[in-house]
Amino acid sequence: MMTLITELFLMPLVAFVIGLFMVLMMRKIGARLQRRVGPPFFQPLIDIIKFHSKETQISHGLIHDIGIIMAVGGYIAAETLLPVPGMDGIADKGGIIALTYFLMIPSLGLALGVGQCANPNGSIGISRALTAMLAYDIPFVIVIFGVSWHYGTTNLVEMVNYQQANGWGIVEMPILALAGLFTLQGIMGKQPFEIYVAPAEIATGPMVEMGGKYMGGLFIMQAFQFYTAGVLYTTLFLGGGENWPTFLMKIFIVVSIPIMIAYMFPRYRTEDMLRLMWKWPVIAGLIGLALVMH
Amino acid sequence: MSDLKQIPVVAKETGKERTNPLANVFDELIRFAQARSMFMLHYCTGCGAIELPPAMTSRFDMERLGIQPMVTPRQADILLITGYVSIKTLKRIILTYEQMPSPKYVIGICSCTVNGGMYWQSYATAKKLNEYLPVDLYIAGCMPRPEAVIEGLRLLMDNIKSGKSEPWKDYYQRYDYYLGNQQHLFGDDWQTPTDIIGEAEHFGLMGPETEGEHTRLLQQHQQPLEPHKMRLK
Ligand code: SF4
Repeated sequence: MMTLITELFLMPLVAFVIGLFMVLMMRKIGARLQRRVGPPFFQPLIDIIKFHSKETQISHGLIHDIGIIMAVGGYIAAETLLPVPGMDGIADKGGIIALTYFLMIPSLGLALGVGQCANPNGSIGISRALTAMLAYDIPFVIVIFGVSWHYGTTNLVEMVNYQQANGWGIVEMPILALAGLFTLQGIMGKQPFEIYVAPAEIATGPMVEMGGKYMGGLFIMQAFQFYTAGVLYTTLFLGGGENWPTFLMKIFIVVSIPIMIAYMFPRYRTEDMLRLMWKWPVIAGLIGLALVMH
Repeated sequence: MSDLKQIPVVAKETGKERTNPLANVFDELIRFAQARSMFMLHYCTGCGAIELPPAMTSRFDMERLGIQPMVTPRQADILLITGYVSIKTLKRIILTYEQMPSPKYVIGICSCTVNGGMYWQSYATAKKLNEYLPVDLYIAGCMPRPEAVIEGLRLLMDNIKSGKSEPWKDYYQRYDYYLGNQQHLFGDDWQTPTDIIGEAEHFGLMGPETEGEHTRLLQQHQQPLEPHKMRLK
C-alpha cells in the first residue's frame, strides 16, 4: 500500500522532470536547426516559475480556472497509468483503454476554460484543436486495436512483459508502428498539424487569453504531453523500459523524431490535416491490422 | 515630470509582517526568474521594428538570454515600442499595455519615442512616450542596432534582478496623471475596457494619486462594456 502511494506521487514528478528536459530538447533542436545557440539549460523551469510569480493574475471566471486544472490533472492521472522501469503505479489495473480516455481530458478541459474567456481567437483555436483530435484519434484507435489484438491484452504491463520476452513490437508490426508514429505527430500537436496554435494568424488560439499562472499551467501541461507521447509509443512498440538508461534513451529518441520533422515544415490547414490523417495513417493502420489479424 | 528618478515610489503596504525566514530567498528566486525569462510582445510600431528580426534570429539570438517573442499581451512581459507612435497607434498601445499581467515592462526603442525624433513637428504623433505609459528604458538611436537593443535588454535584466524596475506600479499609483495626458490627446470620453482602479484596489497597488480629477472625468463618461451584437449581413 505504502509503495503504491509513493509511486502515485513519484510517477508524475518523474514525468514532469523528464518532460522539462524534453521541452528543453525541443527548443534546442529548433535553435540548432536555425543555427542559433538556443535557450540556457534551466529555461523551461525558469519560464514556469516566472509565469507563476506574476503579481496580477487575470481570471475570466471559475470555469477558466477549472479548465486549466483539468488540463494538467488529466495528464497527471495519465502518468500513473504508464508503466516505467521499477514503477507500475496503477498501470495493470487501468490498461490502455482507460489511458485513451484520460488523454482526452486535457483537450476537453482546455475547451471549457477557453470557452469562458470569450475571445474569438480562442474559440476558433479550440474548435480547430478538437477537430484535430478527431483527425488523429481515428488512426490512433486503429493502432491501439491492432496492438492489443497482437499482444492479446489491453494491459500495458503485460504488453511490456510480452515484448521483453518475444522481441519488440516494432519488429513484429512495422506498418502499425509507422502509422503510430504519424499519429504521434498529431498527438504532440507539432508543426504540420499545429494549425490550432497558429501564432501569427489567431494569436496562439486556445492560449490567447492565458497569462500568469494559467500559461504556467499550460507550460507544465506541455512537459507532461511530451513525456506521455514518448512513453506511450515506447510501451506499445519499443519494448517499454527494462532499466532507466535505455528507457530514457528510447523516449527521448521517440520524442525527437516529431520535433525534428516539425521544425522543417509549415502547417496544414484543418481540412487538409483531416484529409491527410484519415487517409495515410488510416490506410497504413488498416493494412497493419490486416497483417496482425490474418 | 519626465525624469524617472523624480517619480515618487509608494511602498507596498501588505498589512502583515513577513514571518517566513525564506521569504527573501523566494523573492530573490522570483526576481531571477523574471529577469531570465522575458517574453516580449510582438507588437511593433514604426521603423525600428526592422531591427528586431536580426536580434531574434541566428545572428544575435535573443533566446540564449531567455527572451522570446510572444503574440498576445496576456503572455507577455515586455512591450516594445519600436519607433514613432501616432495618436491612433497610441490608443492601441495603451489598450495592449493594460491587458498585460504585471510585472510588465515597457521599452522605448528609437529616438522617436524619446522626444518625437524627426517627427517632432508632426501633428499626428505622440512625442514623449513616458507621459502616457510608464517607460522602463529608452534605447535611443535612429534606429538602434541589434547590439544596442540587446544591450538595453540586458540593462533591463539587471534592473529586474536588483528589484529596481518597478515603473509598472507607477501606472497604478499615479493613474490620474497618465489618464490626464491620455485624455488630453484622445478627448474627454476616452475609456479602455480594463478597469485600472479596480485592479489597483484588488492587488493592493492603490496610491495617493490613483484617483483624481481625471479619473472622475472618466467615471462621468464611462459607458458599461457591452458585447457586440451578432449580425449576419
Ligand atoms: S528614430 Fe528613426 S528609425 Fe526610429 S522610428 Fe524614428 S525615424 Fe524611424
